Amino acid sequence: MSNAPVAAERPTSSFRISLLRLWDAFKMPALAILSAFILGGIVILITSGKPLTVLQAYFGLVQGAFLNQRAFSETLVKTTPYILLSLGVGVGFKTGLFNIGVEGQFYIGAVSAAWVGVLFPGLPAIIHLPLALLAGVIGGAIWAAIPGYLKARTGAHEVISTMMMNYIAFRLQEYIVTWLLKDPSAGLVQSPPVAKAAEVWTLYQIPVRLQDPLNALGVALVFAIIALLIARWALGTPRLREQVETAGQRRIVYLVVGVLVFLITFFGLPAFTRVWWPFTDPYDRMHIGLFIALAVSVGVWWLLWKTTLGFEMRTVGANPSAARYAGVSITRNIMVAMALSGALAGLAGAVEVLGVTTCRCVQVSFISGYGWDSIGISLLAKNNPFGIIAASFLWGAMGNGADFMELNSGVSKYIISLLQGLVLLFVAAPAIVRWIFRIRAERRPEEEVPLTHWEVK
Amino acid sequence: MAFALQATGITKHFPGVLANDHVSFTLEKGEIHALLGENGAGKSTLMNILYGLYQPDEGEIMIDSQPRRIDTPHDAISLGIGMVHQHFMLVPPLTVTENIMLGQESIQASSRVLGKLAVLNRRSVTERIYELSQQYGLEVDPEAVVQDLPVGAQQRVEIIKALYRAADILILDEPTAVLTPQEADELFIIMRNLVNQGKSIIFITHKLREVFAVADRISVMRAGQVVGTVKPSEATQEMLAEMMVGRKVILQIDKADAHPGEVVLSIDGLQVMDDRRHMAVDGVSLAVRAGEILGVAGVQGNGQTELVEALTGLRHPLEGRVTILGHDTTRATPRQIIEVGIAHVPEDRQKHGLVLSFSVRDNLVLCTYYQSPFAQGIELNFPVIENFAEELVHTFDIRTPSLETNVGSLSGGNQQKVIVARELARQVKLLVANQPTRGLDVGSIEFIHRRIVDARDKGAAVLLVSAELDEIMSLSDRIAVMYKGRILDTLEGKSAAREQLGLLMAGVTKEVAHV
Repeated sequence: MSNAPVAAERPTSSFRISLLRLWDAFKMPALAILSAFILGGIVILITSGKPLTVLQAYFGLVQGAFLNQRAFSETLVKTTPYILLSLGVGVGFKTGLFNIGVEGQFYIGAVSAAWVGVLFPGLPAIIHLPLALLAGVIGGAIWAAIPGYLKARTGAHEVISTMMMNYIAFRLQEYIVTWLLKDPSAGLVQSPPVAKAAEVWTLYQIPVRLQDPLNALGVALVFAIIALLIARWALGTPRLREQVETAGQRRIVYLVVGVLVFLITFFGLPAFTRVWWPFTDPYDRMHIGLFIALAVSVGVWWLLWKTTLGFEMRTVGANPSAARYAGVSITRNIMVAMALSGALAGLAGAVEVLGVTTCRCVQVSFISGYGWDSIGISLLAKNNPFGIIAASFLWGAMGNGADFMELNSGVSKYIISLLQGLVLLFVAAPAIVRWIFRIRAERRPEEEVPLTHWEVK
Repeated sequence: MAFALQATGITKHFPGVLANDHVSFTLEKGEIHALLGENGAGKSTLMNILYGLYQPDEGEIMIDSQPRRIDTPHDAISLGIGMVHQHFMLVPPLTVTENIMLGQESIQASSRVLGKLAVLNRRSVTERIYELSQQYGLEVDPEAVVQDLPVGAQQRVEIIKALYRAADILILDEPTAVLTPQEADELFIIMRNLVNQGKSIIFITHKLREVFAVADRISVMRAGQVVGTVKPSEATQEMLAEMMVGRKVILQIDKADAHPGEVVLSIDGLQVMDDRRHMAVDGVSLAVRAGEILGVAGVQGNGQTELVEALTGLRHPLEGRVTILGHDTTRATPRQIIEVGIAHVPEDRQKHGLVLSFSVRDNLVLCTYYQSPFAQGIELNFPVIENFAEELVHTFDIRTPSLETNVGSLSGGNQQKVIVARELARQVKLLVANQPTRGLDVGSIEFIHRRIVDARDKGAAVLLVSAELDEIMSLSDRIAVMYKGRILDTLEGKSAAREQLGLLMAGVTKEVAHV
């Protein structure tokens, strides 16, 4: 039976539709998380035998994730690589590609960034830090472009090739750190620490860093660019578009906004942070990588939903036959999407090594596991960049709170893996959640993870 | 009057849809009762209820004046109801005999070693098939392998299968959709034979011509209700169409004479392989001029799909040349061909024509999203795209709750309108339309036909591929008949006779026919 002949006639405002869509998007993941925690509680109850333990465990989890000293910062530190890696996975998914090689691309990004970070001592931070990050991006992109090329040209399935590339990446990283980039003065097998100028700043360092005028210049430029982008967006909204009509007027707005923000941050920020700065704990590892990740999320969202390239990628992902019909090159989009996916994973690796590791270097046993988790996070977030931020935060908090939960309740911290697994199980099998909460199956086909063309070259 | 089947007050809800609304339907013994209606009118739901696939929410079914519950197809079969589905339920590698005995295998005296797992008794089944085919004029070879049989013969196998299971009531679901006109006429003779010998037939169709050819009574369904039951002698095609759609319908599109101009599309000796590496298009040469509609008639699966795919860049031809407006597009990409000025209404709208999970808005710019003014640099210009989409939704009468609605949730007719709107919104020099109205309701068909003729009148060359002979005949200025990858003949649209086309569609050329 096709749908009702009359049901689709009633006009609905687009605002109402976007609200409904928002609710639709969040309903199932939220219920999946809730179900997982309830079921996890039952497991804890069965294994411990005491209802109190369940409460202790969950309170411990919350305390360890948010309330203890530096807990919230640590949660955010863990959230950052999750965001970038999940964006990478999500970009692939949106194009119909299952890039499970983000873990390997993460290693390659980390090693590339560390190498560039060591290679040019004496460069100012305004050049060296972006250069090191860029090295991570390029390293990851190239690493992912290889399976992308193989898929586009020969049809080699990316699930197999990216997984194999993971092992190669891991061993390559070992080789580089052991033979090419070994720190002779260190007792462990590790690369030398990167130059101070290539480090990703912690929030604690910011007032000191800003005393260098070159650093202040860099920060001011970044702020000015962000302000210009916001101004551009604001001028595109219907209300302002009417008031600021001509190109000349727009140019004046840009000029005023850009110059003003630049001057304020360049002169004001160093002085201001010297007088007042809330991050005074030198052991707090919270770093600016989080803001990079958030900005990149917005960028990925823009790319996927506001550009022709994103339109093409989503078309290829949702219906490759229609993409071909419409004249979209499938091979080109596969390669671009894989490279982009790897670039994001490489950036995650770069930020991690330049901003989080204690030695600011790559150690031979450098294993993150972030990449594997990110596949699940992307799934939970339905590949939506903003959903990815939320899901990454959840994963970061759970990972970070686990130790204190164990301390507080005696429940093994590995129960967190169980909880995460349950969340994904419920997300992957929405029928279970629908059954528990008695939600009728949706009649509207959703824009879902399209792994439809497993056999398509 | 004795009734073979009476259904009273059948009501069936699906989530959000009232598929059958107090439907009452009777089938007299020994009659052919045609059930006419558009897609989604509720015909299939009613038949699935009678065949035990669905349970009605309300209503009563009587077989031979006895109230009966039909919970499963098995119940239906044991009550003497047989169904021939539109898509045959046969196992291609098995023989006719094996297909017919499948599920009701008769066994030679049970073996001592294997017990019930004994040797199949093929011979008795074969004999029974011979009897049935003799009795009802259903010509079929019981030893033939089903996949080697032509479609018409496969359909006869399906009918025998139902008769073998002692069906007295036969439900034929759109049986003529896959047949040539001649095969359809043969089927009608068989149907007559069946009712003459006491069987009763429910004949589901949406083709008006056929009900007059064969039916004793005609019931018309619309929006889940039976809107009327008439005798063919008291009805006209216009009247039935009006009952189906609920308003006046123009069946025969009136169009001015064609004024053919320069050659827009020329195909020269084209050879194309299908996916199984068989020669699907075997040396086709055609020319389509500006301002004319060239119809390609033929039973489905005679190479039309591959021909269109080769023209639109979706499949590389093996040999030959395709020229569009002087550009050699034989090996061009789909995008290059689109940019030359071709519009393509694809055969499979859900696979090729639309991205179902995308909005109406996005689907309306699926082929042009990258061009100015829809894109500025790499950024999509949504205000412009939205205005454009709004306008198309209005002019093409696309019934959608909003521009943001997923195309997948629209009805088939509206989905097709999205494609037609998108394709005709461009500067079209050549329109290639493959099965543009398949599965659509009469109203949408009328609308899309009008648009195709309009495109022609504006000077576009139109290549129309269709398996519906009525569509080809009512739209085409010239008609080419395709059979087994070749164009057998090209006729003038006005003078072409249905019988002549039907013979060509079956592969019978004049020379052969005269021999």
